[in-house]
Amino acid sequence: MMTSENSWIVAWSNALGFPEGLPQWLYAVGALISVFVFVVVPSGGLMSYLERKLAADLQARVGPNRTGPAGLLQPIADLFKLLQKESRVDWSWKENLWLSVHTMALYSTLAVLPLGSMAVLVNTEMSVFLPFWSALVLALGTMLLGLSQNSVPGWFGGIRVAAQTLAGSFPALISLLCTGVRSGSFRWSALAESQGFSPWEWTVFANPFQMVAFSVFVMSGLVLLAIPPLDGGLSMSDIHGGVSSHLYGRRLSLFQFGRFYGFFFWSVITVVLFLGAWDLPAQVTVSLKAGGANQVLALLELIWLLLKTFGLMLLIVWVAKVNSRSRVDQITDFTWKVLSPFSLFALVGASLWAGWRAI
Amino acid sequence: MNLTQPESLKTDLTTWIIGPYHGSLPAPMRLSLSLDGEMISDCHVETGFLHRGLEKSCELHSWKAAVAYSDHLDPECAIFGELVLCLAVEQLSELEVPERAQSIRVILSELARISGHLSFMVRMAKAVGSETIIHYLLRDRERILDLFELLTGARFSLNFLRFGGVSADVTDGFIERVLEVCELIRIRMKEYNDLFTFNFGFLKRTAQVVPISKRLVLASGMTGPNARASGIELDVRKKFPYSGYSKLDFSVPVGRGDSGILGDVHDRFLIRLREITESMEILKQLLDVVPSGEYLNRKFKRDFVVPAGEAYARVESSRGLLGCHVVSDGGPTPSRVQFRTPTVANLMAIPQVVRGIRIEDLPVVLASLDLGIAEADR
Repeated sequence: MMTSENSWIVAWSNALGFPEGLPQWLYAVGALISVFVFVVVPSGGLMSYLERKLAADLQARVGPNRTGPAGLLQPIADLFKLLQKESRVDWSWKENLWLSVHTMALYSTLAVLPLGSMAVLVNTEMSVFLPFWSALVLALGTMLLGLSQNSVPGWFGGIRVAAQTLAGSFPALISLLCTGVRSGSFRWSALAESQGFSPWEWTVFANPFQMVAFSVFVMSGLVLLAIPPLDGGLSMSDIHGGVSSHLYGRRLSLFQFGRFYGFFFWSVITVVLFLGAWDLPAQVTVSLKAGGANQVLALLELIWLLLKTFGLMLLIVWVAKVNSRSRVDQITDFTWKVLSPFSLFALVGASLWAGWRAI
Repeated sequence: MNLTQPESLKTDLTTWIIGPYHGSLPAPMRLSLSLDGEMISDCHVETGFLHRGLEKSCELHSWKAAVAYSDHLDPECAIFGELVLCLAVEQLSELEVPERAQSIRVILSELARISGHLSFMVRMAKAVGSETIIHYLLRDRERILDLFELLTGARFSLNFLRFGGVSADVTDGFIERVLEVCELIRIRMKEYNDLFTFNFGFLKRTAQVVPISKRLVLASGMTGPNARASGIELDVRKKFPYSGYSKLDFSVPVGRGDSGILGDVHDRFLIRLREITESMEILKQLLDVVPSGEYLNRKFKRDFVVPAGEAYARVESSRGLLGCHVVSDGGPTPSRVQFRTPTVANLMAIPQVVRGIRIEDLPVVLASLDLGIAEADR
């Protein structure tokens, strides 16, 4: 796993004062933990704050404004509140098991989360497809978590999540192929190199078919991971929470943060595939590299990537807050009958386009 | 029956008992569902969780106190309970109501109707999972509650009507404020239409979903907006005018099947939206010419006694026909006070309405029936 591309981990750990020559697995674990602690968790806090403030603005409310300046510490307060709740006694081992599977499946994607040209841990031809494996295991974990709850909301929630995930994975996978057709590779680095800083160099604007693929990819991702507004599987009003209706306290915070993380990693992937990845203006990259300021470059890339990610996420949140929630059968209908044909259309079109350009 | 879905998934039946307290229920009630896959094959409704013995309480206290009890009939639109009781008692004791008092009563009724319909839309929005409009609607309903507070001092339990009139004259600036609120809601109608009526997601959840046939409406005795949505033109304000409604020029919206099928959830929603417009029309006409004079019949005194006999009055509440039957033996307390509330008929219809629908539609259907469980359980 440790290739020359991963020297960034060593460089960072040396810069932070860790001794050189540590075993490779230690570097990998350290990298995963730091990505989680320094990127994912703060993003979760920030996004939950931004989401609540945006929703409050849209809904003619004030939103959080008591905890810290302008309510900035609200996510932390919420986390501590959930953590100090006592847990239920009659919690079954099955529920524990499936919540663990659910959580592990989610965070296994940390290894493939692309966060910058110098922050890609697993950069193989298969990297792009690994999140799909996780999403399917995630759906399995969520489904069984629901089924093990011994209540009707749990059963229905579990089955609906499974139906949604199965429906969503097909168009998502097909539209993903479109990007590979353009870049010629499924390595994160190759996908990023095929794009640029200016929006006109982004894959999404490369040709009309990529535009279609982008739309399909975003929507099918919402279906696949049951993210609002297409979250019928998890939170229809009749089952009132569904899978998570029995969870509270620490387990609820674990589950909800997992849901945020699913949304986050899907948005990161979308940005990397379609919206210009972490690409900064070429002269900035060159001059920073020439100056040896690799850490600065990595940080700038990360910030630029996260800015675009948050923008995309807030856009989706906006749509979700304003619109009604669709029924699960409508979601799966839409996914199979509309998104899937469009994804195939986009793939054929993008292939022809690439072939025509090659000639 | 849901026309977009197959009728049966051919699986074994599951039993699911929802309630009495559950997020998908608009009010405390217990539904025992038999589920065939995700389709509801049978439903049994159990109510009575909000029983407070209102009718009995009326018998135990003075006639005047009965007004205060009757406005707990439906906490959301308190004025209708008071009004129907007052009308019945006035009929029995042949008490004239001054014109000014009648106008004030109608102003309050129509404001309550708008506020009740806004609450209905909030429940619809919750059922379809549309978050933003809930806050818009509640913001506008607050303005109406402010008006109630300005006039009566209370926002919900008004306790404002008296036999033979109302308890106080309109305060300064009240009429201007009502006009302001009407204008505000007229402007906000565009928002409601954008976020609801013409919204693709909302149409997906409501259009052609669970229509109620005219036959079922007649069989179950449903009245009010639910009946009118199914094409039955029944409005107490037109058919048995009271409090001077006969002098007002307004039309009664009837379901048109705008989304394809008459009497579906979308029709039931739309009829309320159109009724809000009509109510504002009524308010504008009334406010132009509020007659001067007394606001209370001076024959109504502290030692007011209702002569022996019985009387029945009905009003059009925001949910339908609200009737009140009073019996007096000439004593200081009512001998019997009985209400006919529209929600009871809606509850009776639920088992037939929900048979064959998907359980995901259940909250939407329940919200669209506008169940005021407080007035059904009373």
